[in-house]
Amino acid sequence: MSPGWSKDRNAFELEDRSKIARLWQERFGIPMQVFDCFCFYRRAQNVWAFSDMALPKLRYEAIGLRMMNFKEEHWKPTSCALQVFGRHATKNVVHLPSEQSRIFFAGKSQVLEAKVEPGYVVVFYNGDVLGCGLYSHGTLVSQLPKESRIIGDAEMDI
Amino acid sequence: MDHLERYRSIIPDYDGFLDILAMPLPTTARINTLKTDRSCLLDRLDRAYVAYTCLEWYPLGLRLGVERPGKMIEHVLGHIHIQEEVSMIPSIVLDPRPGDRVLDLCGAPGSKTTQISQATENRGLIIANEPSLARITSLRSNCERLGAVNVAITRYDGRRFPQQQFDRVLVDAPCSSEGMARKDPKVLGRCSLKRSFDLQVLQIGLLKRAVQLTRSGGIIVYSTCTYAPEENEAVVDDVLRQSQDTVCLEKASVQGLKGCSGLTEWNGTEFCDELKHCVRYYPHQNDTGGFFVARLVKR
Repeated sequence: MSPGWSKDRNAFELEDRSKIARLWQERFGIPMQVFDCFCFYRRAQNVWAFSDMALPKLRYEAIGLRMMNFKEEHWKPTSCALQVFGRHATKNVVHLPSEQSRIFFAGKSQVLEAKVEPGYVVVFYNGDVLGCGLYSHGTLVSQLPKESRIIGDAEMDI
Repeated sequence: MDHLERYRSIIPDYDGFLDILAMPLPTTARINTLKTDRSCLLDRLDRAYVAYTCLEWYPLGLRLGVERPGKMIEHVLGHIHIQEEVSMIPSIVLDPRPGDRVLDLCGAPGSKTTQISQATENRGLIIANEPSLARITSLRSNCERLGAVNVAITRYDGRRFPQQQFDRVLVDAPCSSEGMARKDPKVLGRCSLKRSFDLQVLQIGLLKRAVQLTRSGGIIVYSTCTYAPEENEAVVDDVLRQSQDTVCLEKASVQGLKGCSGLTEWNGTEFCDELKHCVRYYPHQNDTGGFFVARLVKR
């Protein structure tokens, strides 16, 4: 059942699971079955991931966590979704050493050589997924949202 | 502090109570099992030489010897959540299980919502309601940071939440927050008996609605971070009396934490005898903030 009202422009519409899973498999090599226990809802350009439970008919502000957003042909994964699903990624993954991870955490760009396709990548440090980066022309641009950044190297304990 | 004088007769060792209010509140955090597990997290803190002690009464609770816990990578990655020790109590008393349908009627900023989510192991349905749009932002960002994928957020006036049937409902009600004085002494300046009575009207409305939204045999937990009996026992007593025996109280105590029984009398008003099953937590009993918890069962 799709929650919200169909006439409501802000309603969440149930999205095809295999379509979303395929996009993540193509880009990051995440097996499609990782998403078996989830369902996806779309509202405007955003897709949200939710545990596979029937939702009662209520007016929702948010459903689960924001998974990705679409801009025309392109889509961008959110850092919070990569922190949940990104550990299964097998390609377009960048592992950062300590110093570079500080730069990434501060939300900055850095010149970096990585064997990945241009576009969005899963950024790891020490086995943890830090979030989403944008890699192009030898530069990794941190896509961490402001509230997930840690500014000030001296204060950061990693 | 003058405002608290009215509680002298109900708070044991009142001078000890006043003394601890002058001391800073320990920094505490909850391990988020949606993203890590206890042993991994403790290993990590050990390797990073982070000073901590484990809470004796709750395996997922930690006291941190860290000045700015919000800057810790474990916090930013959602492996821990900075949460006051007594604020961990209501979700434990609610005792949600995987597969449950749970309503958190006053959800923001999401500490208890996400604690419920981890108790349900991300299975089951949690509706976190919050009427204030501004507070929904913090609720959302905490749910996302902690990886709670079974939480859906609504924005209703909790007193008029649409009819549904839930297994468990948490009412962590808006209150005068007297129990937060160690964290922010200014809260006491805003407290008055009139304010407590104003809040009481809202609190009764919320708890009454919570009872209606709970299935037969389901559990409702009512909690506040205040001492005022007007916002605690008086609220629960009113709802019990109006419920015509459809609701009763169960023990809300948590093993390993010192607390006082709920009041059965205040300022000449008698409450139902069952109110003794509620628990009052005072800061000097466990070196925490102040809190009140009641556990109701719908027949």
